[in-house]
Amino acid sequence: MKQIQIYRTAETNPHRNLAVEQYLLENVQQETCILYLWQNRRTVVIGRNQNALRECRTTQLEADGGFLARRLSGGGAVFHDLGNLNFTFLVNKEDYDLQRQLSVIVEACRAMGIPAECSGRNDVLSEGRKFSGNAFYEHRGKSYHHGTLLVDVDMENMSRYLCPSAAKLQAKGVQSVRSRVVNLKELKPDLTIAEMARRMEEAFCKVYGLEAEHLDESGFDLGYIDALAERNGSWEWLHGQNLPCTMAFGERFAWGEIDLQILAAEGLVRQAAVYTDAMDWQLAPELEKALAGSRMQLGELQGRIRAAALDGQVKEDLCGLLARQDM
Amino acid sequence: MTFPAELKYTKDHEWLKMLDDTTALVGITDFAQSELGDLVFINLPQEGDEVTKEESFCDVESVKAVSDVMSPVDGVIAEVNTELEDEPQKLNEDPYGAWIVKVEKISGYAELMDAAAYEAFVQK
Repeated sequence: MKQIQIYRTAETNPHRNLAVEQYLLENVQQETCILYLWQNRRTVVIGRNQNALRECRTTQLEADGGFLARRLSGGGAVFHDLGNLNFTFLVNKEDYDLQRQLSVIVEACRAMGIPAECSGRNDVLSEGRKFSGNAFYEHRGKSYHHGTLLVDVDMENMSRYLCPSAAKLQAKGVQSVRSRVVNLKELKPDLTIAEMARRMEEAFCKVYGLEAEHLDESGFDLGYIDALAERNGSWEWLHGQNLPCTMAFGERFAWGEIDLQILAAEGLVRQAAVYTDAMDWQLAPELEKALAGSRMQLGELQGRIRAAALDGQVKEDLCGLLARQDM
Repeated sequence: MTFPAELKYTKDHEWLKMLDDTTALVGITDFAQSELGDLVFINLPQEGDEVTKEESFCDVESVKAVSDVMSPVDGVIAEVNTELEDEPQKLNEDPYGAWIVKVEKISGYAELMDAAAYEAFVQK
């Protein structure tokens, strides 16, 4: 390793921050390790091969002004807010050294008197509880290893936006694993994000035995980063993957019982099947026609139901039923 | 670790099995699967997609990382092994049986090694 570099950003938009991460990866020099420190405001980040609908209550998240984001690395869904600090180690593949990179985190904690150890499942734990989840990505001879550092994350929001079970949706793709987590502030009450970031920078220099150069955005290709950020926020990127899934739910109402099965792919309803004992024989075909082609998004599904030639009460009941599906 | 003699290999750890002059099966090697660890997902391409030698046409996710799979040839995807969608672990269990795609209309090749050269390459 010839040199180490640090880039820390005040930006908290996840789509932009992930764009910068990809830019840094594509441009990291030989025999160089970059440590990138960043934070996202109110965001659920899903893994590369996950279905957003299954992992996240996107309607709730968006109503609260939060973001959904997809990262390039694998693994499960995580919640970020300004109580969390993200780190990324970016290197060429031949400079990749996971144990050394992880030891920066362990060293940063040790310097503050917090015990830390690495676990089998890509996590860093303190006394058996996880405070850092890690994931990995490699592309064209470049690799990154990134993760979270829970300092003071709102745990209520974490469970509010992350779906606890896969009951509502059958989907291909990677499933999240729930972990017992801890905020580092619980272990060191006066800990702040600023101190955590400083400790990471110090530990980075100590572990690599080098002085770090601080990068700033002036040298970056901002046009390219803007284009990546736009892609990162697009419907196609977040929902439009070719991962078929089915959603099935039903309920009994005053006008009859209804079961709905939706087959979706690339984030759109490919086929809706309606089973009902309602007296209105047009209900099933009308509803199937209304839903076909809709985005798998609560507002649009409800809008299509409201516009259909159906009884007013039936429409209200169906919109309510959809709203209860944790979308 | 095995290196079947009838296959050709790339430095990115894919294997190529020629079926006729312009058609071949492509997969990842025994070495690749053991380096990746347990595979949990494969993001498959579509039939009819064009592939370019030394460019990614698919990615695999293991418990350790997401990695690209590079094409050993220029050509067109004739068939995709969709069984892997539900059972990506087949790439671990039987790397030379679990082909990923069948490529036809092959018009160019990446640098390929025979079994002996590839075995020497991974042991280096």
